[in-house]
Amino acid sequence: MQSSATAGVGTGTPKKGGTLVVGVDSEIDGFLPSQNHWDNTGYTYAYAVLEALTAVTIDGSWRPYLAESMTANPDHTQWTLTMRPGITFHDGSQLDADVVVANLEQVLASALTKQALQPITDVKSTGPLTLTIDTNEPFITLPYFLASQVGFIVAKSQLDSQNTQRPIGTGPFVYSQWVPNDHFTVTKNQRYWQSGQPYLDSITFHPIFADESREAALRTGQLDIMASRDPHVIKDLAHDPSFSQINTLSGRVGEPDIDFILLNTEADPLSDLTVRQALARSIDAPTLNKLFGAGITPAATGLFYQGSPYYSNNGYPTYDPGEAKSLIEEAKPRHGGQIAFMLQTIPDPRLIDTTQAIQQMWNQVGCDVSIGTIQQVELIANSATGHFQALTFELFGVSDPDLNYQWWSSTTAAPIGSIALNFARNRDPVIDAALEQGRTSSDMATRVAAYQTIDRQLAKDLPYLYLGVAPWSLTAATNVENYNNWILPDGSREQGFNAGAFNPSPIWLVET
Amino acid sequence: MLVYVAKRLAQLVVIVFVISVLAFLLVHLLPGDPTLTILGPNDTPQARAQLLQQLGLNKSLLQQYWTWLTNVLHGNLGESFITHQTVTNAVATAIPIDIELIILSQLMALVVAIPLALFAALRPNGKLDRVANSGSFAMLSIPTFVAAVILVLVFAVELHWVPATGFNRLSQGLGPNLKSAVLPSVALALGSVVIYFRLLRTDLIATLQEDFVTMARSKGLSTRYILLRHALRPSSFSLLAGAGISIGSLLTGTFVVEYLMQLDGLGFQLVNAINQRDYLMVQGFALVIAVFYVLINFVVDFVLTLLDPRVRRA
Amino acid sequence: MPEGHPVPVLPPIERASVAAPGAELIAEPAESRAKRRTKYGVLFWVCVGIVGAMILLAVLASVLPIQSPTSLDYQAVNSGPSLHHLLGTDDLGRDLLSRIIYGSRVSLIIGFGSVGIGLLFGGSAGMLAAFRGRGTDGVLNALSFVLLAFPPILAIMVIEAFWGKTLLKLTLLFALVATPQLFRVVRANTLSFANREFITAARSMGATTNRILFKELLPNVLPSAVSFALIGVAIAIVVEGSLAFLGLSISLPTASLGNIINEGAQLYNLQANPYPVLFPSLYIFLLIVSLNLIGDRLRASYDTREAKL
Repeated sequence: MQSSATAGVGTGTPKKGGTLVVGVDSEIDGFLPSQNHWDNTGYTYAYAVLEALTAVTIDGSWRPYLAESMTANPDHTQWTLTMRPGITFHDGSQLDADVVVANLEQVLASALTKQALQPITDVKSTGPLTLTIDTNEPFITLPYFLASQVGFIVAKSQLDSQNTQRPIGTGPFVYSQWVPNDHFTVTKNQRYWQSGQPYLDSITFHPIFADESREAALRTGQLDIMASRDPHVIKDLAHDPSFSQINTLSGRVGEPDIDFILLNTEADPLSDLTVRQALARSIDAPTLNKLFGAGITPAATGLFYQGSPYYSNNGYPTYDPGEAKSLIEEAKPRHGGQIAFMLQTIPDPRLIDTTQAIQQMWNQVGCDVSIGTIQQVELIANSATGHFQALTFELFGVSDPDLNYQWWSSTTAAPIGSIALNFARNRDPVIDAALEQGRTSSDMATRVAAYQTIDRQLAKDLPYLYLGVAPWSLTAATNVENYNNWILPDGSREQGFNAGAFNPSPIWLVET
Repeated sequence: MLVYVAKRLAQLVVIVFVISVLAFLLVHLLPGDPTLTILGPNDTPQARAQLLQQLGLNKSLLQQYWTWLTNVLHGNLGESFITHQTVTNAVATAIPIDIELIILSQLMALVVAIPLALFAALRPNGKLDRVANSGSFAMLSIPTFVAAVILVLVFAVELHWVPATGFNRLSQGLGPNLKSAVLPSVALALGSVVIYFRLLRTDLIATLQEDFVTMARSKGLSTRYILLRHALRPSSFSLLAGAGISIGSLLTGTFVVEYLMQLDGLGFQLVNAINQRDYLMVQGFALVIAVFYVLINFVVDFVLTLLDPRVRRA
Repeated sequence: MPEGHPVPVLPPIERASVAAPGAELIAEPAESRAKRRTKYGVLFWVCVGIVGAMILLAVLASVLPIQSPTSLDYQAVNSGPSLHHLLGTDDLGRDLLSRIIYGSRVSLIIGFGSVGIGLLFGGSAGMLAAFRGRGTDGVLNALSFVLLAFPPILAIMVIEAFWGKTLLKLTLLFALVATPQLFRVVRANTLSFANREFITAARSMGATTNRILFKELLPNVLPSAVSFALIGVAIAIVVEGSLAFLGLSISLPTASLGNIINEGAQLYNLQANPYPVLFPSLYIFLLIVSLNLIGDRLRASYDTREAKL
């Protein structure tokens, strides 16, 4: 499959004008960073109208973005931000330290978002354009967090009104209209602080939930560009000369979005490590990916991309159904003579196929697995409350591994029945120690060692049975230029299309 | 006459009221609540309690229903807990789509079914009858969503005659509007054709066997005249009842087609709202659907009495 | 008759064994009618055979020498008919013939069960309501509206959340949706007969409600009701596929005709292998055509338009 380095990078002179139509795969719940939760569609929308304090670059480092500079004291317990002067919000108000502080305070107070920024103890402005952030422990990765939802800055008026339907930001486009499930339209910000941009006159986003329908809409010309993680759609478009495509399969920044089976390590019989090992050894992931991943989904055996600095051989169990069978036999007496449990999933065609195949694989080594189909909302609720034994999940796509802290730490685990972000309820002191190291040390080698330790421990504890890397791809018609080339003020290139989210702002349209 | 209409209106109110209570109860019975969607995995007990109070969901069911009812009577259907879009807005987005699809699909179905049934009844078990029968059964055997997929593949992706997804409002012009409505209407019409055809055919055949028809024939009236003037009318009872049902089932049964073609209709929005436990949306939609359904069937009943005055107006 | 005036609808008069003059234009002479009572025709028996075979296969599924409907053959995913898999395989490599046979079990039970219950309860209620009129009709009609105007998807989701989705429960859920529909159709049909003179005549002769219902109305209403019910069977089987789409149908990997079609209707599957959509649809088509023919022949030979007094 092609993954051209030049696709998405525009050549020639940018042309001004035109309307871009973007197809997205879901609908968001709103535009207020402290009250809503943005999936990939949320970020795609947000990038057009809002901006964050920092940005992550294509080589995995970070740059200040709305902040002109962001520096830390020697032990990284206090960060100082200096905002860029002369930036105005869409409603004319000024971007200053006070409004940034107000934004951060809301994020820190909101149940939805405060978990992520838990080490922060204080935020205050120290001048018209300067502010400080104090933390209770060295928080090296704070800039990465501030490049995500919690770091997006909205105008004071939106903070006051708590309006989630109408974003007022500093971004290259201005809100025009939002009809949920129908369209989101934005128009060019005439007073955008990065002069010369944007090139487009307006963008219209259309949610089209079914992947094949979105592909059809792209093919009929209704859409100019769309993202998809459906392997068949991706493959269909990959070799079509009427389109150009990029994907995240060979990305190196942070971690990829991974498809996996989530096991509840506190629920019988999955609480038995022998059982988890048997289950891991009986999944033939490459065959699954060949059959249901259109042959393009790479199998995953760990948290990191193959070319990533964090990658290592983590000792994840290999496919060995014979071994799995004997492990199950060994475990059966401890669980009343049978290993019976339910694997839950959502009615997504690819997952329906995958779970039925996995059920077969597990039943063939002696288990008695049944399948339950539930809706996405229930799936999340079950994972949070622990009312599950096994379910299909997709997670972990982040720009820095520390952003996954909350899923792995025992501080976020809780017994079945209470809410826990550590869904698998896997409490491992080795992981905890490594997480702290990764969060607080500024030395790259230490961090790499820490996350490799976590990778190895997870492969040992087996709360997750990895299936494959989510093959997110962005496909555009040939008249769409520069769709993956957002350049930051200092000239460096932003990390680009990631886990289904992309920034449509730098795009220009040409005649074909 | 006025008494009849008044009685019917009273019935409408009672039925819609009962449905609103049922919808309210059922959607609250579903496990979970909107905090699941809003907070996601951050659904801690404190956050949840706070949010429930904010949304007014910690009050007793009776209180909640009463609040909703009084709001509705003032024209306020509430808003989505998740996107804060007003229910009225969402309904206003959905209704034009469904109305247009229903009208177009039923027209298409009738235009095909009525002539077919007339010709088929002329010669029961003749060649045309058998072909029409088989054809209508074939249309029945294919689920709507399969038809939709195939139609999109052929007419949108391959031929580029119509868009693959989305609905162009009338405000954007009649041409684009019809183009975006034609594929889903055809998909939805398929199931209705068979209902109309079969019901009408059966009734026509039965009516044609009656003696008044024999008498008309013996007077030298042509078969076509007899069919259209004398037989069609009394045979239309079942057709009308079928229309009531066909349209009714379309009001909520269109989810799959709407999902595949991204049409923001009642079916699609209702299922989304249920999944997200967006109570006010669900209640609002159930209310609107009920009103429409009952109105349509009242019209059907009324036309029934027009067709045959001997039918007592209950 | 002057043009433009509707011909008054006269009641069907009593038919003695001798047909009324002019009736031979449409009805058959008595002799050949009697003859036909003993001979339905080849096609009739073919259809009986088809339906019988379908039922037999469904009942005997587990003892038939067919492959397991759930075992996956990774080498033969989405393959067309072959020696090893007579009807081919689906997108998980499962034998299609076997899945259709097992699936027919589920679909036939849901289809016939729900419509049967619907006819029994909804149909009889419809007849009663139309005949009685006034209060009874008002209440029953309003009740049917409540059931019909209520979005079934909500009821299904809630009931399944508490009750689960076994075959029996699904059948009952479908019956819940079918009953008011059959009520409306039978009621409308009965209304067209209930006020005719032959009923008034029967009543004036002191016939009991039961007698009128069963001997006069039912035979006249049944053809239309059964005709609609038959379509209902096919609709139920097909709608179950839409439920499978939402994950609300029978638990996987149990097959039903609907969920075989659903899985096969994914565009990439459809383009690679149309048989999982084609064969079950063909099955449904054959079923309904056969049932329809059987019903037609049966009805034609037992002329039911006689008013029995």
